[in-house]
Amino acid sequence: MAKTILIVDDSASMRQVVGIALKGAGYEVIEACDGKDALSKLTGVKIHLIVSDINMPVMDGIAFVKAVKQLDNYKFTPIIMLTTEMEDDKKRAAKEAGAKAWVTKPFQPPILLAAVAKLVLP
Amino acid sequence: MSDINPALETFAQEVDELLAAMEEALLGLEGTPDDVDCINSIFRAMHTIKGSSGLFGFDDVVAFTHEAETVLDRVRNGERAIDAELISVLLACKDHTAQIIQHFLFNEDESLPESLQQQSQALIAQLTGQSTAAGGMPSTQQEKADHFEVDDNTTDSSDNWVISLVFKQNALRNGMDPLSFIRYLQTLGKIIEVIITMPTLPRIEDMDPEDCYLNFKIAFNSSADKKTIEDVFEFAEDDCDIYILPPNSRQEHYLQLLADLPEDQVKRLGEMLVEIGALTEKEVAHMLHEQHDDDNTETKPLGEMLVDKNILQQPVIEQALKKQEAVKQKINKESNYIRVDAAKLGYLINLVGELVISGAAMRLMVDKHGLSDVDDVASTMSGLVEDIRDTALQLRMVQIGETFMRFQRVVHDVSKELGKQIQLQITGGESELDKTVVEKINDPLTHLVRNSLDHGIETPAERMRAGKPEKGAIQLNAYHDSGRIVIQISDDGKGLDSEKIVAKAVAKGLIKPDQVLSKSEIYNLIFEPGLSTKEEASNLSGRGVGMDVVKRNIEALRGSVSVDSELGQGTTVTIHLPLTLAIIDGFMVEAQKERYIIPLSMVEECVEMSSDAWQIDEVQHYVNLRGQILPYLRLGDFFHKNKKHTHTQRESLVVVRFGEAKAGFVVDELHGENQTVIKPLGKLFENLNGIGGATVLGSGDVALILDVQGLIQHAKKRVNPTLALSSSV
Amino acid sequence: MTAKAKKNDGILCMPIMDDMTIYNAQSLKETLLGYCHAGTQELQLDLSAVTEIDSAGLQLLLLLKAEAQKRGFTLRLLRHSEAVIEVFELLKLGTYFGDPIVFPANWKKS
Repeated sequence: MAKTILIVDDSASMRQVVGIALKGAGYEVIEACDGKDALSKLTGVKIHLIVSDINMPVMDGIAFVKAVKQLDNYKFTPIIMLTTEMEDDKKRAAKEAGAKAWVTKPFQPPILLAAVAKLVLP
Repeated sequence: MSDINPALETFAQEVDELLAAMEEALLGLEGTPDDVDCINSIFRAMHTIKGSSGLFGFDDVVAFTHEAETVLDRVRNGERAIDAELISVLLACKDHTAQIIQHFLFNEDESLPESLQQQSQALIAQLTGQSTAAGGMPSTQQEKADHFEVDDNTTDSSDNWVISLVFKQNALRNGMDPLSFIRYLQTLGKIIEVIITMPTLPRIEDMDPEDCYLNFKIAFNSSADKKTIEDVFEFAEDDCDIYILPPNSRQEHYLQLLADLPEDQVKRLGEMLVEIGALTEKEVAHMLHEQHDDDNTETKPLGEMLVDKNILQQPVIEQALKKQEAVKQKINKESNYIRVDAAKLGYLINLVGELVISGAAMRLMVDKHGLSDVDDVASTMSGLVEDIRDTALQLRMVQIGETFMRFQRVVHDVSKELGKQIQLQITGGESELDKTVVEKINDPLTHLVRNSLDHGIETPAERMRAGKPEKGAIQLNAYHDSGRIVIQISDDGKGLDSEKIVAKAVAKGLIKPDQVLSKSEIYNLIFEPGLSTKEEASNLSGRGVGMDVVKRNIEALRGSVSVDSELGQGTTVTIHLPLTLAIIDGFMVEAQKERYIIPLSMVEECVEMSSDAWQIDEVQHYVNLRGQILPYLRLGDFFHKNKKHTHTQRESLVVVRFGEAKAGFVVDELHGENQTVIKPLGKLFENLNGIGGATVLGSGDVALILDVQGLIQHAKKRVNPTLALSSSV
Repeated sequence: MTAKAKKNDGILCMPIMDDMTIYNAQSLKETLLGYCHAGTQELQLDLSAVTEIDSAGLQLLLLLKAEAQKRGFTLRLLRHSEAVIEVFELLKLGTYFGDPIVFPANWKKS
């Protein structure tokens, strides 16, 4: 059974590149363009991993992580946050909110794939 | 038992008593299986007999009692229930122990007969084989775990990494599923065996299924290096303690790498092991952190911790330590000392100074007469002269360690006197600097250390109240940083109270009450004359000599001093010093036909001094350099107050920096870098403002070496005081 | 999530009808605990419907095994699903639980 990953990023190109890489590795991918959009997709489907950006309109990554931790059916889902070197304080905030894995932007798809595989193999 | 020696007689007697007590306790247990005293007495019997037998070299007794002891330890810890069956096995063990000891008492040098050996084996099998797990630890797993830990020489585990993962309570809630990491681990190699233990598992009723109780020990076959394996668990770091023991086959590899390490300098154990890849930076940081935390007992050496935590095998550590020792010895052997009169050395260095100057003079002549054929020879010679100069200066370099070591005694005596418990830690003692500097730094250092002892570290009672370990620590550290030596004196005492300092400084009129100062500006106020925060000076550090004197002494050596502190956490004083006083790299400038040398390390930049480019305030003497307010000084005007100032066409601004303070010197001409041998000024000129020394140029002319710090002070005084403060940031 | 127990002669045969993950670990634990009563002599768990099992689920199985040893009843795991086999293989747990694992015909050996 293929594992499903939810990608949350406001950049369509980022979603696309990451999506192609993950699908190529054998994952199922669901895309969302911000935290709110992502929450609307967290119903009824099984999600094995969430990959989320921090800076997004409408609902940012930290608020999103906090919201996920409130959802009975998704609160234990591992979350990889995408950050830049500059965002140390946000990283701390996201860590407190419950995100434990990190990939620093900019990254090449293989870097993300390796990080994803440590948490969920396809 | 007629001919056995007295110690054996005692042993025999002891064994008799212990075994009798054991029997009694075992029988007692039949009625009350939970009797702690009985269990302890049984355990003690086996434990003590094992220990004493070892003394006499009765290895078979040791081996047998060890097994019994292990089982009993588990019983004692509530990991194994004691039942009638176990009691009867233990009774048999007791009898058997008596039997084999009898054998050795009468036949000291003979090995155990076959029959007794078989009996030992059978009893051990009964002891361990049929054990039923009473706690959360399934028995077969436990045995596997023991086997794993004790016996790392067996062939089947020798070629494997042993990865221990101790997951924390919230790992699962955080989405860190141990299975995921183990699955990913498979992509790097082959998992040979996994042992799962759940040592903290509570009763089933109290167990929270969202908590993680799982610990893993994984035998893993892979050619990946330690860092790669460690990286698998990168995301689990917060939720898991990870220990990675390299395979025994790697040991050979590590030992080889250790042997190949260059022997040119003494490295720390951690550094060596990271260099050969046996240890990762993370592991070192983790261990050092733990070492640091563990302050109530004597700290264990790093090597011991690594073996204890199953991070590295003993032989690798031993080899590394041996290597470290060998390098030390080699370096010691290489430095066969000759005692030389310091005065002779001083004379030599003086001569070398002269040589440098006359070399420069020759250079000048060669250029002047255009002697192209002499040019090459002259170049070679000046190269050699430079080498001689460096080597000569090296001769006078000494390690600062010896100076540091003297403080051991000071700390010991003074802490006793003050009723405090203080430990002195010394690092970087191998850093070298000129003997003349060392001699002059002793007094300021003594003062600073005594300050820490007296005012910094609190009494044990105060420390306990503040939640700190009773024993305070003072650290002396030294290291080289871009051609200078940095010396740090730090303590973990009560730190500086910035409010008190400000209040005192206001009272003394050093700052205005409403002045806003940064933290470091406040702390550095303690170097101002007349500012001692302690109300009554003690007989140690407050004997009239203040921090201002310390600062002046250090600055006289062309050094600087600063202080940093955290209230309640401690204070660190940092001293920057030149490595030598004899020669500096200088930057030569010219003003009013006079040549001046500015120490190169203090030159920030040179810009053209033109009012079009920079806003220049001729009245208040400051220039707005790219938005930075900079006080400036015309060197010509400063040193030739009576001469009429003649403006040359193009003036330059040399921006100099001393510590945090900056200023500009306006000069007529820039001559560039040169090597300067400092000649002290005669007594007559000692108090000359703005001059630190002089040097003879190749041409025979004298150039003055500027006292940059004094000049900056002077330049700042001339501008509006409020501006002066803002410019010093 | 678990079907009604079939009970005869102290042998309890229970299918687990759902995943064994942290999401339902709480209720799963209650259910399993319910099986551990005095009358149980043998507990058989049918794992054929377990499509997913994670560390939390595994932890409960290990706990149950230890509990069975403590209380002196037999725990037998039957009809391991693919997901369960994968985890048992990964952690070499087959011999520990000691139950015969029947590989399905279409089992993909990874």
